Amino acid sequence: MRFSEILNLVRINLIQNKFKVLLTSIGIIVGAATIVCVIAIGRGGQADVADQFRNLNAGALDINYEQSEGNSGFSFGGGSMPSFGGGDMPAFTQTSAKEGGSSDGSSKRSRGSSGGSMQSFGSGEMPSFSGSGEVKNREKITLSTEDMEDITASVPGLSEATISYTTKQNIYGGNIEETESYTIAGTLSDYAELSNLSLLFGDYLTDADNENKTKVCVLGYAAAKNIFGSAEDAYDSIVYIDDRPYTVGGVLAEQGSVEAGISADEAIFIPYATGIKYLTGSDISPTITVIAEDVDNIEAVAENVRSVLAATYPNAEFTISDAGSKMEAANKSNRTLTLMLIAMASIVFIIGGIGIMNVLFVSVKERTQEIGILKAIGGSRKDILLEFILEACSISLIGGIIGVAVSFAVSPLITSFSIRMEMSVTGALLALGFSLVTGTVFGFYPAWKASRLVPVEALASE
Amino acid sequence: MSTEQIISMSKVCKSYKMGSERLNVLKGIDFSVDKGEFTAILGPSGSGKSTLMNIIGCMDTLDSGSYSLNGIQIDETKERDLVKIRNHEIGFIFQNYHLIPTYNVMQNIIMPMLMRGKDRRSAERDCREVVDMLELSDRLKHKPSELSGGQRQRVAIARALCSKPSLLLADEPTGALDQQSGTEVLKLFTKLHEMGSTIVMITHDMNVAKWAQRTVKIVDGEICQ
Repeated sequence: MRFSEILNLVRINLIQNKFKVLLTSIGIIVGAATIVCVIAIGRGGQADVADQFRNLNAGALDINYEQSEGNSGFSFGGGSMPSFGGGDMPAFTQTSAKEGGSSDGSSKRSRGSSGGSMQSFGSGEMPSFSGSGEVKNREKITLSTEDMEDITASVPGLSEATISYTTKQNIYGGNIEETESYTIAGTLSDYAELSNLSLLFGDYLTDADNENKTKVCVLGYAAAKNIFGSAEDAYDSIVYIDDRPYTVGGVLAEQGSVEAGISADEAIFIPYATGIKYLTGSDISPTITVIAEDVDNIEAVAENVRSVLAATYPNAEFTISDAGSKMEAANKSNRTLTLMLIAMASIVFIIGGIGIMNVLFVSVKERTQEIGILKAIGGSRKDILLEFILEACSISLIGGIIGVAVSFAVSPLITSFSIRMEMSVTGALLALGFSLVTGTVFGFYPAWKASRLVPVEALASE
Repeated sequence: MSTEQIISMSKVCKSYKMGSERLNVLKGIDFSVDKGEFTAILGPSGSGKSTLMNIIGCMDTLDSGSYSLNGIQIDETKERDLVKIRNHEIGFIFQNYHLIPTYNVMQNIIMPMLMRGKDRRSAERDCREVVDMLELSDRLKHKPSELSGGQRQRVAIARALCSKPSLLLADEPTGALDQQSGTEVLKLFTKLHEMGSTIVMITHDMNVAKWAQRTVKIVDGEICQ
């Protein structure tokens, strides 16, 4: 029998049983819609990660110190908090501001025996840390501009370096009637360039601001809008941080979200030394950010940085994280989530497929006499097999198409729950492919059973 | 006058297992039909006439003996080839019509030709003459459920005739019809016989069998001439 004629028979049968086809394909509809949505959510997650790391410098290394215990009420870096630098916003938590600390933050620094004698490291020479049985990170260490200068002086292959920290402070001013808590980032003048931050109005902080501990600030785009109504209104206005007036010297252009909900858009940037003098005192946990000239050489740079710090702080272990690893980790967790969702969708498909198989078995039973007639008048096993498989495939395909349509219809509803979805043709095609495969696999056995019916017995069935 | 045989059966036996016992349904049947003959196989219920029809129609296999249809040795033929023989050599007419309910009249009639690989348009063209002869031209778009019993049987006959088979095999063709419709069908068979068709008709009704050129009686699985 010609393939086109078999298709025509399938068409006739499907039209005659429209309602049954629709009911049979419900499992596939749900499965296909789930697949499309899952892929869209997965892609949305990837896009989110890409957005978050958009401003990240691929060669950036963030260096933090985390005290293992008795850490005076704050934690920083090392995974529990996002690190700062190179586009990442820190999550430094300190409830009370301290004044009068050392401006370079080095007053509590305890240098090791080899402190001061900085050596230059070649790319292949990796100095090792001290004794393995030694308890690390017991002492209070605050990274300082001096440490940053040690690193830049001793580690080859660095193009830039900066130091920064963050704190949470209550602010008011502009349209704010009651104080609100904002992330305050203490940075040096080169931070904006290093983190690829661009300005909408004004200028970024200068070296003079830092040296003079000027009360000046740069607002993130969202912060400016929240406090003053617009970025334009914010520029050259006064904002009160911990009850002290700061002149808004600049407003950042919109950057997009960063990570863990902390965004450059929502932060307030002040000179590094100003923050230490008026807000935090010396009780801070800064992040040194260095930029490797060659991204491929980043591991050697990290080892050299570790060695330089080990020479200064022999009993301390520092967290050094690079942007690529962060991005990879975020992507990996996103991929895991996507795979989990795809596994769920696959289960839905299997259930849908079993539904199709059951209905086809019933259909074969109902149409036994018809199969007998077709065999009596010359229908071959192949014709019968093909007809039933094509029916199963068609039901699945119809279900798949409806499922894809449903997924596009419900996507606005899902996105209204702040879940980002990136609908794609690939996702739709994959869902249709899955539908077809499900129909073929689960339709085969009933079709095979139909094709093996003995004509005499099939004709005699009621 | 020597005539060509279309059916030639010799010592055909067929048995079925019924529980723990074996039931011998056909017990060494010797039977032949000449080309162009209109033969009735007459027998009471349980005589084995339906089994004989299934074997003649290549829908069942025989246990022993030999059977030749239009020169083809059926007892040596594989199922795959039997499908082709059923399609090319035999036109089936069943008691309950056995039309496919979801197809319309035309689709039912041309089905054997489509099975053969013919395209729809030429199949429809080829069956036009038969459709006209059986006065079904105005019923082609109707579903079987929209037809009377006599009309359904005419559709079944049209389906059997369209593929121009060597043998028309009718199983109780008037069994589900009223007397008038039954008579019309039998008149049609007579007409087809006069036109040269070979017809084998299975029936339990002596009055129906009378319409045939020759009647062969089957009782308890054996032919009684």
